[in-house]
Formats: sequence, C-alpha cells, structure tokens
Amino acid sequence: MARPVALDTGGAAIRCEAVTKSFGKVAAVASITVTLAAGRTTALVGPSGCGKSTILRMIAGLEAPDSGTILLGSDPPKAVARRGGLAMAFQDPSLLPWRDVRANVALGAELARKPADAVDTLIELVGLGGFAGHRPAELSGGMRQRAAIARSLVSAPEILLLDEPFGAVDAMTRSRLNAELPPLWRDRGTTAVLVTHSVEEAVVLSDRVLVLSDRPARIVADIAIDLAPDQRGHDTQAVRALAQDVFSTLELKD
Amino acid sequence: MVASRSVLWLAVALIAWEALDRALHDSVLVAGPIAILGHLMDNAGLLARATAETARNAVLGFLWGNLAAAALAALVVVVPRLERVVSALALLLFSLPLIATGPILRVLFGPGNGPQVTLAALAVYYTTFLALLVGLRAVSQSWTDLMAIYGRGRWSTLLRIRARASLPYLVIGLQIAAPAAFLGAMIGEFTGAERGLGVLTLRAMRGLETEATWALAVLSAGTAMAAYGAIGWLGGRALGYVPVILLSASRPRASRSFAARLIEAAGIALLVVALWQVAMDAFDLNRFFAKRPGDVLTFLATPANRQTLLAALGETIAFTIPGYVAGLVMGAGLAALLVLSPPLERATMPIAVALRAVPIIATAPLLVLAFGRGFTGTMVIVAVMIFFPTLVACLQGLRQAPGQIVDLFGLYSASRWHLLRSVRIPAMLPAFFASARMAVPAALLAVTTAEWLATGRGIGVLMAMTASTSDYNMLWSCVAALGLVAAAFFAAVALVERAVLARYAPEQLA
Repeated sequence: MARPVALDTGGAAIRCEAVTKSFGKVAAVASITVTLAAGRTTALVGPSGCGKSTILRMIAGLEAPDSGTILLGSDPPKAVARRGGLAMAFQDPSLLPWRDVRANVALGAELARKPADAVDTLIELVGLGGFAGHRPAELSGGMRQRAAIARSLVSAPEILLLDEPFGAVDAMTRSRLNAELPPLWRDRGTTAVLVTHSVEEAVVLSDRVLVLSDRPARIVADIAIDLAPDQRGHDTQAVRALAQDVFSTLELKD
Repeated sequence: MVASRSVLWLAVALIAWEALDRALHDSVLVAGPIAILGHLMDNAGLLARATAETARNAVLGFLWGNLAAAALAALVVVVPRLERVVSALALLLFSLPLIATGPILRVLFGPGNGPQVTLAALAVYYTTFLALLVGLRAVSQSWTDLMAIYGRGRWSTLLRIRARASLPYLVIGLQIAAPAAFLGAMIGEFTGAERGLGVLTLRAMRGLETEATWALAVLSAGTAMAAYGAIGWLGGRALGYVPVILLSASRPRASRSFAARLIEAAGIALLVVALWQVAMDAFDLNRFFAKRPGDVLTFLATPANRQTLLAALGETIAFTIPGYVAGLVMGAGLAALLVLSPPLERATMPIAVALRAVPIIATAPLLVLAFGRGFTGTMVIVAVMIFFPTLVACLQGLRQAPGQIVDLFGLYSASRWHLLRSVRIPAMLPAFFASARMAVPAALLAVTTAEWLATGRGIGVLMAMTASTSDYNMLWSCVAALGLVAAAFFAAVALVERAVLARYAPEQLA
C-alpha cells in the first residue's frame, strides 16, 4: 500500500489584468481581466482557434502578453516556473520515449528541483501500478496520459495547467480519465486551469467555466459550476443542464 | 537463412572474380582473390604495421572531427541565429577537396601525422554535424514547453532532452564517419607521409604492382567497412533502433530575394578571407609557406600565373561535370527502375546502403587500372563516388510517395509507369536534389584525387607539383580557386533545384 505523502499545494490565485496578445496582424486575445480563485479549477471553453490555448500559454509564461500583467499569487509566471511551482499537461502526453514510466514521472520532480518521494504513490493513484517499468511505447494512449498527469502532479505544483490533456484519447477512455484523475488535484487544493473543446468535460472537471468569444478572445460568459462530487459524471442530469447553459452562450459559426 | 544466402553470394562473387583473373591471364588489370590473399600473407607484417598507422590517424581524426561536429551542432541549436553562418562556413570548408587541404597542412605541420589526423577530422565533421542537427531538433515542441514550464532554459533542454533524442542520429553520423575518417587519413598519407596504407598504395601504383594495389584496396576498404559495420551494430544494440535519414546541407530558403542572398554570400566570403588572415597571423605562421589572402591576390595579378591556374582549373571542371551528371543520372535512374520491382528493391537497398560507405578513393587506383589514366578513368571515379549515395537517397525518396495516392492510382488500375511519372518521381525530387548538393564536394574530391594520383592533369596535379617545388603562392591560389569553384558549383545546383522544384514540387519550397 502506498504510504501517505503530502501533496497539498496551497495553490495561488491567478490574476490577469488587461492582458492582450496578437501574432503579427492577428489579434488573438482582446483585453482580458479576470481572477481565478486559488485552489479551484477553471475551464476555458470557446470556438476552436479562439485563443484559449494562448491564454493558458501566457499563464504558463510560455508566451509573453503584448500588454497587461499576469500574476500567479504575487509573482510573474517565469518566477513561479523557476521555483518549480508550475506544471502542465499537454494534449500530446510528451513522455520521453527512452525513460520508463517511473523515470518519466520522476522527471517532473527532477525539473522542479523537488524531492521525488511521491513518484510511486502517484503511479499507484493514476492506476499505473503494474507499469512503472514500462516504456511509453508499450502503453496505450490513455495510460500515457495517466503517466503525464502523474508527472504534472509529482512536483506538488501551486498551479496546474491542462491543455486538452484528454483530447487525444477515445471517448470511453476519456470519460474514465475524467472521473478518476481530477480528484487528484481537486482534493489537494491545487489551482488548475483547463482548456478543452468539450463543454461536458469542462462542466465535469471545473468549479467555473469561462466561455470565450471567437478571435480575438473575450470572456462572454462566466458560469459557476456548483456540483457535489457525486454529481460530477458525464451522464448526470445536473451536468447536462449546466452544459446546456454553457452551449447557449457559445458563438458557434459552423 | 539470410546469413547463409549472403555467404553463398559471397562465394559466387569470389569464384567469378578468380575466374576473371584467370581469363585475363597476365593482365595488369585484375588480381584474383587467391593472389590477393597470397600478397596479404606474404607481407602480413608490413601491412599490419601500415594498417595500424593509418587506423591510429583515422581514430584520432574521428575523435577530433566528431567532437568539433558536436560542439558546432550544439552551438547552432542553442543560438539559432548563428546557424546560417556556421552552416555556410562548415560547408565551404567541407567542400574544399582534402587533396587540396592536404599539401597546405603538410607545409603547416611539417613531417609527422598532423595532416593525416586533421584530414581525417575534416572528412568526418560535416556529415556528423548534419546528422546531429537533425537529431538535436527531433524534439517535439511540448518537450521544450515542458522544460520552460519548470523554468529550465536552452542549455538544460540541450543536455536533458536534445542530447538524448539525438543519439540515434549520432549513431548514423558516426557510422558514416568511420570510413570517411579512414579515407581522410589515407589522403593525408598520399600528400607526403612516411608510413601507412596510403604510402604503400602510392608505391604500388607507381610500380604498376597489380597484386599489391588490389591487396591494399581490399585491405583499406575492408578495414573501413568493418568500422562502419561495428558502429552500426553497437549503436543498434545500444539503442534498439536506428532511424533512416538523409544527410544533406539544408536547402537555401526560397523566401529570400536574390539580392539578399547575394549580400549574404558576399558577407560570408569576406568572413572567410578575414578568418584566413587572422588564423595565419594569430599563429604567427611563416609568410614563406603560410600565404595570406593578399599574397594570393598579388600572385594572381600576374597574367602568366593566372593563366596556368585557369588552364588547370578548366581541365578539372571539364573532367568533373560529365562524371557528376553520369553518377546522378545512373543513381536516380536505377532507383526509379528498382521501385518498379519491389522484391528487387528490397534486395538492393541494404547492399547499396553498405556500398555507399565504401571509401571509393581507396578503390580509385583499381578504377585507374581498369579505365586508364585519361578522361574515362577520371569520369568513372567521379561517377562511382556519387552513384551509391544518390541511389540510396533516391530509393528513400521514392518511398515517400503518399500511400493513399498510390492506392488511388491502383484503384483506377493506372500503369506503373504512370504512377512513377506522376507520383513517385515528383516525390523523389527533393531527395534527389539533396544528394545532388552533397555530391558536389564528393565530385571535387574524387576528381582532384584522381588527378593527383594518376591522370597527371588538372588542378590536382598542379597542386602536387607546386607542393614539391615549394611554389606556395600557386598552392594557396589553387586552394582558394577550388573553394570558389565549390561555392559556385553548389550555388548552381541550388539554382537548378529551385527551378525544378518550383515546377514539379512547389510545396517543397514553401
């Protein structure tokens, strides 16, 4: 049995103040001002290409805003990154093919310069117990995504960024991962931001859904998701009703 | 099964070879396997010492050259802005035929193994550099993002991710480098050493000793191929797989205007001249043999000097181009024919891949024996040098034809020729031109080496003469002229490539 490990992170709030971004002549993000509460999961949804990934990448410090400021707690993203306070899961699990699952998960701690004592616990928790010695090539798509989530949690990040992490797996695997993995960060008080194409997934995983307009991205709706844990499933009445609310605010063109 | 069939083929080849030797009784052309074996056994001590000497120089050059390649590749990946200049300089230096660099190094180093080691290093650094560039960049963006998320920079990404990701590509680079290093060391020995296989080869050729010439060619090609095989085997065992990649200088980008490219070329030329001057001054090399750019300009201002140089250069170019074209056409043509017959293609590919690595120069003396010291012999050496790399590259290119389009043609029962013409050849063009660019240095090396060794014409022999008569002004002028020719040749190929791709594969220029 895995021994208990402190993974509580005391997440920080994310403050975006009048943030804009364009690429050449294309305006990707119009002025966005929003505060994402500490310890909560916020989902960004919107039409494809609307700039939601750009917002996520700016919070991650991977892109710099043209104007405006982003603070994680009281620090700019790069400073938080340098002290190992950030983690991210991508659509592509981006595991290193030459490392086995254990070493891939440990990479998160290694890069964040944090102790690696939670590695085995997390491998158990994401359901990869028997696969710690396997290389990514020997795993299914869903298993690789589990390993990537474990890697992103192993450093006990203050802020967890999720860029379509379940976008590349099939629908059945996706709904299982949606049910099994989010409690790992929700229950530990990590501040999380999720970008997803799936409105239902946004509702199931988050405490708040921000609906973005077509490019340049603005926030057109801000919907609180107040669900008890047992209501968070893909086919519950409550989820369907909230998903309907979110859909009605989306500007879908085709 | 495969092994036993290979042994069978080898036995058939050896018997045919021996029969040919018997049939051409008393000829100076061919020595049979039995005679070669006899020569190897009779001179075992001498040959072992010579092989050890050449191998030692090759190994030292292999180490230095690959270290330099790794350093250059790492620099370019960490500071991408330097890529164009570093790549252009690396290519220019690589395009200078080793046989031209050899005499210069000989006068700079004096006696000893300095030139052999340096030439071996020069022979290997460029292909390893290219392989590493591909490998260090074989990294997905999410990996580099991952590093940035944890606040890690370029160096950390280089060490933790890129270095490891590039290992399979490094294996390919090292594999190709092994015979090349051997070749470089031998050319160093051609240009005036006391010991080694190159020295023995020269002696055997000059004495018209057929058995010795064959025995030395077999010995040096065999040693080089053994190193090639050993590195591939070790790499495959250590990594589990080795990818297939084309090694070629990157194509000049199309988006840039002609004027911009001209300015860049001029800038690089100035940089080369400045580096030349600074290097000579920095080591305070004697002006008597270490000529500066100014010395060469003054020397070439005299019409008689200019005429001698241009006459020799003209001969060399006239010998190079037919061989170059023949090698490319035969390589691409055979590839196109082979792809019509998949079983034949599968059988040919591994042989062609292995033969690509044979140091053709080591067999040049044999080709000279067979085809004479004139135009035909030189042309054959150039063509053979280019043929195998082109064949391999084009076979790989032909496989790039998108499977669904091939299926589409099959669905309409289109003929193989139709498919070849409309789909496969356009898909092959980028690989063809990639090998056409890499064939430029190879052709210049082959032609100058043939001239130096055998034909007694062209700039190769002019350099050999000036080196022995201490006419260092002419020697340096020859090297500078060859550098210019290489650059112009390369630019001409790139121009043709652009025109053809614009017509048949415009997506490649995007």
